[in-house]
Amino acid sequence: MLISLTMIACSAASSVADTPLHKWVDMAVGMGSVGFENVAADDAGDAAFARRLYLDLTGMIPSAEQARRFLADRSTDKRARLIDQLLTSPQYARRMQYEFDTMLMERRPDKHIKSDEWRNYLRQSFAQNKPWDQLVSEMLTADGTDEKTRPAARFLLDREMKTDTMTRDLGRIFLGRDLQCAQCHDHPNIEGYLQRHYHGLAAFLNRSYLFTDPKSKQTSIGEKAEGAVKFTSVFTSESDETAPRLLDLPPIEDPPAAEEPYTVKPDKKVRSVPVYSRRLQLAAAMTDPANVAFRRNIANRLWALMMGRGIVEPLDMWHAENPPLRPALLDLLADTLADHDYDIRYLLRELALTKTYQQSSQYNGDAEDSDAAHFAVSMLKPLSPEQLAWSMMQATSLTETTLKDLKAKHLAAGTEDAEKQIDDPLWQEETLHNALKAHVDTFAGLFGVVGIQTSRFDASADQALFVRNGAALQSWIASGGGQLTSRLNMLQPPDLIDEFYFSVFSRPPAIGEIHFVTQFLEQQPDDRESAIRKLVWAALSSAEFRFNH
Amino acid sequence: MRRNQGCNPLEHEMARRRFLTSTVAGAAGIGLVDTHAQADQLKHQQKRILQVFLQGGVSQLESWDPKPGTVHGGPFQAIPTSVPGIHISELLPNIAQRMHLLSIVRSINIKINDHEQGRQFMEKGRRVGQFPYVGAVASKYLATPNSNLPGYVHVSSRGLSDVAGGAAFLGAKHGQLKLEGIKPPGNLSAPAGIDAVADASRDKLRLQFNQRFADRRSKAMTEAYDASYDQAAGLMERRAMFEGTASKKDLERYGTHDFGRYCLLARTLLENGAACVKVTHHGYDSHAENFNFHLEQLGEFDRPFCMLLDDLETRGMLESTLVVIYSEFGRTPKVNVRYGRDHWGTAWSIALGGCGIQPGAVIGSTNETGTEVADREVDASHLFHTYLQAVGLDSTAEHDLPGRSIPIGDPATESIQELLV
Repeated sequence: MLISLTMIACSAASSVADTPLHKWVDMAVGMGSVGFENVAADDAGDAAFARRLYLDLTGMIPSAEQARRFLADRSTDKRARLIDQLLTSPQYARRMQYEFDTMLMERRPDKHIKSDEWRNYLRQSFAQNKPWDQLVSEMLTADGTDEKTRPAARFLLDREMKTDTMTRDLGRIFLGRDLQCAQCHDHPNIEGYLQRHYHGLAAFLNRSYLFTDPKSKQTSIGEKAEGAVKFTSVFTSESDETAPRLLDLPPIEDPPAAEEPYTVKPDKKVRSVPVYSRRLQLAAAMTDPANVAFRRNIANRLWALMMGRGIVEPLDMWHAENPPLRPALLDLLADTLADHDYDIRYLLRELALTKTYQQSSQYNGDAEDSDAAHFAVSMLKPLSPEQLAWSMMQATSLTETTLKDLKAKHLAAGTEDAEKQIDDPLWQEETLHNALKAHVDTFAGLFGVVGIQTSRFDASADQALFVRNGAALQSWIASGGGQLTSRLNMLQPPDLIDEFYFSVFSRPPAIGEIHFVTQFLEQQPDDRESAIRKLVWAALSSAEFRFNH
Repeated sequence: MRRNQGCNPLEHEMARRRFLTSTVAGAAGIGLVDTHAQADQLKHQQKRILQVFLQGGVSQLESWDPKPGTVHGGPFQAIPTSVPGIHISELLPNIAQRMHLLSIVRSINIKINDHEQGRQFMEKGRRVGQFPYVGAVASKYLATPNSNLPGYVHVSSRGLSDVAGGAAFLGAKHGQLKLEGIKPPGNLSAPAGIDAVADASRDKLRLQFNQRFADRRSKAMTEAYDASYDQAAGLMERRAMFEGTASKKDLERYGTHDFGRYCLLARTLLENGAACVKVTHHGYDSHAENFNFHLEQLGEFDRPFCMLLDDLETRGMLESTLVVIYSEFGRTPKVNVRYGRDHWGTAWSIALGGCGIQPGAVIGSTNETGTEVADREVDASHLFHTYLQAVGLDSTAEHDLPGRSIPIGDPATESIQELLV
């Protein structure tokens, strides 16, 4: 099997065949080989596929109507069409905004750039499907002085221009390597994380500093024309000096010193600008094809986004003793993504088309947890705080009720073109988002992790208390909030149960489930509405709802 | 060449195995307990930490390292204690009678004079970086598997921001549950219209859904999710714990003011299986009127703390409970023009006792006027190692994390060996 993998990778790189990437991916995962097929899960089925895809690409579960419509569609290419439809929806850009904001800023509090402006910048970038290398270049180049590009400077500015913080996060987030332990010495446990790697990265940035304009108080990035990076190992006391360099690529030597090294000379009142900027070499060096780590990192992260686990895991711990599970697969993804100009939408589309993605999360035969880790069974993915908030609002029909109110209000206000506007998907997405944003923030505060993000799942007592007893969820479940409870209350089993399952679990109930829910409703002593409220609550707090499966 | 050899992967791996063996064996020995006798035994086996944080920076000169009659000594006297030869400030008369239960470290130099940085260093044992607090580490490795209280609980009258509850990479489960004084945590009561019966029936239904979903699926994450609901239910059942159920006699002993009530709550939490309880006593940042402030503050602190110490001792819990009284730093020897003392990380003290700690000891010293450490200088990373080793954890091992190797304590420093039993 390993031999064939190498062959696959070679032939894909030369891209002779018209075979699309998703087929190569399935082969590289191991499909077709006997050992793999013995433990591989079945296809997830249309309903599970649709729920999974809506969550991954739009950030929330489908409405009952969307789920039903997809199931009723008899055409054979309906999965591919749904993928294309969702990838071009306004909800896709919002979902990517949330994911990349979390990945890049790790839920840091606002410092110098308003997070709303930054998030809007991200969303616009994903709406236009901006190539990843371009997005990263913008973030590493913007200095905060130009209003137009200022939001992109948040990655650096909100790390307060602290060299250590920026260096560590550049390594982790863009190169998949946490070099922090190599700051003071070659990494004690990880062969290949060298002190010069850390300081080579630091050398791009150590001359740059946070400048605050004395009049406007606006912050931006200034830079000095001198400042060398020297380092000494606390273990061996060996010292070295380094010019900016990315991992083991050649150092980027400064040009011969100019007679006047500054365009704007350093002074307390002005932002100094050197003739030759080391920081401005970073974007090109980072995105240079020679820097393989850059494309492997983003390929690994996009894979993890869809599959629930990186090919290298943790995502920022790539090293010799923690190699990719499928090296050929990762290279295939990384190289093809780079060949496609870092087209994120393309890669996500291909990943969604794989059988690997479309497998069930239920084991077959002798499979075990370790098989899920090897992509033979789909992994459970905990919903992000944002996915959880939106999905709960979607399940209880709060989204639908709110949008209806917003449309009516907009029409009543009598704005020109209002009638046309309310049917515009972008208007709908933005208006609904603004109306319900506060709820999403509440979930992010309670369920989100500030700092290094991991793929591990964590649950705390105060989160469970919030779901059990918190006012927000209770009000959505009450018949005055979302319309789910009152809608169900007007129905009788089995229609009631069918509508309930489609609304919350995006699928029809199995026969056994119709039975058990009917039984529950019959056994409830109090009025039917409170019985329905219990039913909805239990489903929203269930594991089936909490995970993307 | 500091501990270079101690950083090689094989050593780490072995240390980690040793570490895991000790904790896993402990957990396996515990199992599920039902009977009283076993529960009692469990109480002795489980180790735990009580942290009393004197927020703002208590003055070492008005507490653990008095220098009466010297240039910076201030107006208060030093008094003898139950340990011959150890003198502490007269502001702590009750503690003085119980000095044989505690020890003092008088030679701390953290080189930090900033509240936030000092606090972070004292909690994490690391100057920089995202590392878990002592309490989160305790929650991860000391909490009994069947405890349905969160492992790390912090009782405080106001909020200090603790990113991720101090859990860092150990995860939300080990972050601190922050209680605003004795007020129950948020969302502790079932919503209006849902009584205990209704709550139980909807929860039963949740479990039925979960059972169906669990069929042929990975259990690791769903079990963690279920466990959070059990913890929530545990807290709801113990709601009374947070609501002034203190007896009249307890209140007479501990006092009815906030800190007294916090100490009572801490006792309850520790008895109920919390792995680390932190109680914060605010208001030691005495830039002005240092002496009046300390007279008042330590007056409030001394008695309730001693009642708690007594109760832990008489209930047989002190030998399994590490008790630490600490701050983010001490206060300057030099008295400023407003009769205040300022931030001082250079030469100050903490006190600790109970589980694993040699009682009645004094570690290190400052010079005659208290302006610098004279002997056995330590910082927060040494203390961090010491706390964990006192409760039987190998702080030189690595955290039990998939795919990452992160030393628990700072590999460049070690514990204060002579303080450990």
